[in-house]
Amino acid sequence: MKIFRTLFFVTVIFITAVNISFGQNSTLKINFEHYANGKKIVLSDSSYNNIFGEQYFIKKLRYYVSNLKVNGQAFTEDSLNYHLIDLAKSTSIKLPLTAGKYNKLVFMLGVDSSRNCSGIQQGALDPAKDMFWTWNTGYVVFKLEGTSSSSNADRNRIEHHVGGYRFGNNISQFITFNIGEVVLKPDSISEITINVNLDRYWDSVNTIRISEDPICTLPGTLAKKIAANFPAMFTVKPE
Amino acid sequence: MLQIFLQCLQLNPSKFISIKLFTTILFTFLFVFLCSLAIQKPTPLPLQIPKGWPKPPSDIFKNNKPTVEGFALGRQLFYDGNLSSDGNISCESCHQQFASFATFDHDLSHGVNNTFSTRNAPALFNLAWMEGYHWDGGINHIEVQPVHPFTSPNEMGETIENVLAKLNSNAEYRSMFKAAFGDEEATSERLMKSLAQFTGSIVSSNSKYDKVMRGEDEFNNIEKKGYELFKQNCSSCHKEPLFTDNSYRNNGMPLNRFNDVGRMLVTGRSSDSLKFKVPSLRNIQVSYPYMHDGSIFSVPQVVDHYLGLSFENNPFIDTVFKRKIELTPRQKNELIYFLYALTDSTLLKDERFGPPKRIF
Repeated sequence: MKIFRTLFFVTVIFITAVNISFGQNSTLKINFEHYANGKKIVLSDSSYNNIFGEQYFIKKLRYYVSNLKVNGQAFTEDSLNYHLIDLAKSTSIKLPLTAGKYNKLVFMLGVDSSRNCSGIQQGALDPAKDMFWTWNTGYVVFKLEGTSSSSNADRNRIEHHVGGYRFGNNISQFITFNIGEVVLKPDSISEITINVNLDRYWDSVNTIRISEDPICTLPGTLAKKIAANFPAMFTVKPE
Repeated sequence: MLQIFLQCLQLNPSKFISIKLFTTILFTFLFVFLCSLAIQKPTPLPLQIPKGWPKPPSDIFKNNKPTVEGFALGRQLFYDGNLSSDGNISCESCHQQFASFATFDHDLSHGVNNTFSTRNAPALFNLAWMEGYHWDGGINHIEVQPVHPFTSPNEMGETIENVLAKLNSNAEYRSMFKAAFGDEEATSERLMKSLAQFTGSIVSSNSKYDKVMRGEDEFNNIEKKGYELFKQNCSSCHKEPLFTDNSYRNNGMPLNRFNDVGRMLVTGRSSDSLKFKVPSLRNIQVSYPYMHDGSIFSVPQVVDHYLGLSFENNPFIDTVFKRKIELTPRQKNELIYFLYALTDSTLLKDERFGPPKRIF
């Protein structure tokens, strides 16, 4: 009756495995909060000024956050690895982790080049999410649309579709955060908040003036110039 | 569960159990067998590489193995005008089988709401051997190509969301998605993959040229001379057996009214200005008009264009034209006769690629 003994052991192992995975059931929730002029950003409703005194409204604000690592731990499943932060929809990410202490967070602002050239993708990378260039394959990493009286473009629009993965135009980049000491208790949720400061979008490493560059819809020099400002926008909110 | 196991262990050993065990195993096998009948797996439909042809540069079907069911779904989608915003424009509107899946006799193609495209619709065959799609190679994978025609305001003018909603509200489509992908929901991924299975499986390899190469036929004297002229003057870009080298070159076509700079749009490099993809010459007889904007209407005029090129007068054209192409009127006709031997009438009538039974 060896078979029963085997079945018995399999069952025991299964039950133990389930128990262990229950032990891993803690969650780190990362919230993204968006600010301009020290105000929390509200789509369409309210206007902001950049450092050059250019007033603007925001209609769309979306970007990709991917390849997250918390204390070196990566998340291989696509649904955990790729996230679209969209001010109109979802501005937080939930990551399953084992209970413990964590102090370091890394993510890629963008989409790794392999996902830009290996055919149709799903989930956050579904082209139906409207973050995909249809005529020149590749993902828009950061999309900012709005209006400004300083814009000389059609209907005063601001249309920044910042992306690019090839020909030296890759703008996806890793950003590293020191998150203090986050303690994750078993079977519980801990939250951290990343502040996204749009003031730095217009002015940090480079200066981006709406009057000069209201439109950026191609990979290339301007996209790279804007993308150089991304890291300065993201900071961990102090406790 | 555990209790039953423990009970079994206590009863151990007895004849009763071994009979019970035997019947359990029997029923398990029967159950698995019935399940496998109920869940029919799609039938593989691998790409056939014609004899003597090179292997495709990359495997377009790496994550999307074609199946009979996936191909059938892709074919249905390819011919379905309901997927456009006004219900009129299908893939086939601009890619007609009798024109080797180009737009017959149109320099530009028609989109929804009486719009026009700004480039000539390319013929669709041997896509598995291509490294980039569209005239400028902007599309890097066959699966993501359809996103463009679906959403372009001057093509099908629709959103992917709406296309999926239309498919998901149709019972016939739902059963086709189920047959192809094991689940009846239409998603972007399944939509694009099934289209890739259909278009990527279109192979043109049965022209007179191919038959001659396989030893099944012979060129006549004119074609034979034309073939020699072709090898001397055209084959460095239009490389056999695909009749393209997949490169992007400036062939001396001037900047058109759309200011279309071609490859430069994709790379941003000024050195790529006015470079366009070298198209295959297969089926050239039926895929007129020619060039990226369809501005040349006949094969003799295309040959005249190349005969008239001068590298000294236009140093921006491809260096391959440093050697001037010279043909007598007779040689020109011989060359054209050879090019007509590249027409694959099997492909033009192949029912596998023709319109399916309408399900709407």
